[in-house]
Amino acid sequence: MYFLPFKEMTFFKVRYLLISFILFFVAILVFVISGLANGLSMNNASSVINMSADTFYLQKSAEGRMDRSHLTIDLGRLTSKSDAQPLGVQMGTISKVNSEDKLDITFMAVKPESFLEPNVMEGKGLISSGENSVLLDHSLKSETIRIGTILKDARSGVKLKVAGFMDDQTFSHTPVALISLDTWKEISGGADKTEFNAIALNRANSSLKEEISSMDKNGEWVEKELVIEGIPGYTAEQNSLYMMLSFLIVIAVFVLAAFFYIMTIQKTAQFGILKAIGAKSSLLVKTTIFQVVLLTIVNIAAAVAFTKGFMMVLPDDIPFIFDMTQIAKFSGILFLVSILGSLLSVFNIVKADPIQAMGRLE
Amino acid sequence: MVFEPLILEHVEKSFKDGDKENHIVRNLSFRLKMGEVVAVIGPSGSGKSTFLSIAGALQSPDEGQVIVNGTNISSYSDIEKANIRLNHLGYIFQTSNLVPYLKVEEQLSLVLKMANQWTKESKRKIKEMLSAVGMEHRAKFYPHQLSGGEKQRVAIARAFINDPEIILADEPTASLDPNRSMAIIELISKIVKEQNKSAIIVTHDEQILPLCDRIFGMKDGQLVEVEKR
Ligand SMILES: Nc1ncnc2c1ncn2[C@@H]1O[C@H](COP(=O)(O)OP(=O)(O)OP(=O)(O)O)[C@@H](O)[C@H]1O
Ligand SMILES: [Mg+2]
Repeated sequence: MYFLPFKEMTFFKVRYLLISFILFFVAILVFVISGLANGLSMNNASSVINMSADTFYLQKSAEGRMDRSHLTIDLGRLTSKSDAQPLGVQMGTISKVNSEDKLDITFMAVKPESFLEPNVMEGKGLISSGENSVLLDHSLKSETIRIGTILKDARSGVKLKVAGFMDDQTFSHTPVALISLDTWKEISGGADKTEFNAIALNRANSSLKEEISSMDKNGEWVEKELVIEGIPGYTAEQNSLYMMLSFLIVIAVFVLAAFFYIMTIQKTAQFGILKAIGAKSSLLVKTTIFQVVLLTIVNIAAAVAFTKGFMMVLPDDIPFIFDMTQIAKFSGILFLVSILGSLLSVFNIVKADPIQAMGRLE
Repeated sequence: MVFEPLILEHVEKSFKDGDKENHIVRNLSFRLKMGEVVAVIGPSGSGKSTFLSIAGALQSPDEGQVIVNGTNISSYSDIEKANIRLNHLGYIFQTSNLVPYLKVEEQLSLVLKMANQWTKESKRKIKEMLSAVGMEHRAKFYPHQLSGGEKQRVAIARAFINDPEIILADEPTASLDPNRSMAIIELISKIVKEQNKSAIIVTHDEQILPLCDRIFGMKDGQLVEVEKR
């Protein structure tokens, strides 16, 4: 009996093309906005997102904000191989030695060769002693900034030599300049006390966790997701995008439900006729839901393909991430929404009275 | 005794009209014999369509029995009634009520498929049925490409295709010119006689009455046999 919906769709081409377009465009909007949300999220916080740490020890009063947290613990015993690593985070400005052009960056200080030091895509890693070296996010690479270029921290005047460049390392939308803890000390005025923002823990290690907790009672362990959300601007940005997304989905619910509803209202007479010649409600429900499932799957698949293509032609400076698991999640939501919309039809089908075919209810 | 494929006994049907009960069918009893064509006449609003839809398992009576081919269907569920319609009844409506998106031949094949009667023979059967109503040259047309009379002939073919014992027609000729009307009723009558079926035709059209075997008038909610002139 599944030839019925096909016959119907080919006969009422315009009507079904219209519905297809709406489904298609709603899906595209949802996918593109979620792609942008992911892209912006990565663009904002890739340094922390890509960090292989699970949880962070922060000052309690910092309320999960790494940039506000200050810890002074003597971690002298911890080697660069340890699962717990101090991390310094500080917004800053750098410039070339003989230039006035300033660049906003975020200094991140780690122990060289610890798990916190990301892989370099060009050049070599941090040098643990001797001259002050720095690793830069690849976005800073330019005609004038290359491996070997000498940069200057605007506040302290400390000179830094570019040792290499890293993939995606940003914090609060600024590129990260990765330095060693020794350089960090020098930049923050040569303080004797070891001062940093957070302690990052690589894997769940409860004894190490307890040891650190006991060293500073004013700290707390914060999960990575919450630390990411605490990056300045991150939550506001993501919230607005997710607000848009949820509105979009709510609108989609209404538009699709209204469309399927109007469509079946128009079809009640037909349902009456079909019932009068012996069609059962269950058959009509089955074929109608089959039709909606078919329409939804085809259009969502087309929208996924379109989004993928859209990502390819998008200029590089618009951050966009095509995350298949998330796309699958939103596809599922849209699919459910359409099925719910078509359940309104089911109501209409069951209600449709074969007696309508007698022409009493026009 | 001649077999009676449709029997109605003491059927009652009323509709609520505000707080007033509108008693349309009162204690109606009727027996349809195999091989006959019965006409039902009566003023507008007298309950002819109501009678036909009860006989046709489109609605249930308030009281009384409806017996189709020996089975009492008065208390059947919607699904069971759909099965009765599919297998034992052919309905012809005042407006032809074809499915707009199906071609003429598909209108007929749909009925057969729904009744699980689709076989290798079916294509030939549809062709024969369509040529019986003179529509074989329109097999690939959609309803909107047909004239009113042509649609009605397709509706007749559709009503007969699943070999129902009983044909119920509600003013099948109302939208047709006199010549066409006669041709349509002659067609129904011919198929009924040839295939030993039976038919009830509700009509306002006096000129077709000579083609029917018995004539009933709807009066005070009952069917009363009228002398043939
Ligand atoms: N579903 C219903 N709800 C309320 N009233 C109904 C319903 N069906 C029929 N009636 C009433 O029953 C009466 C008889 O209707 P019916 O359609 O059987 O008349 P009819 O004899 O077929 O008339 P016509 O010749 O105009 O077709 C009418 O007054 C109508 O208003
Ligand atoms: Mg009527």
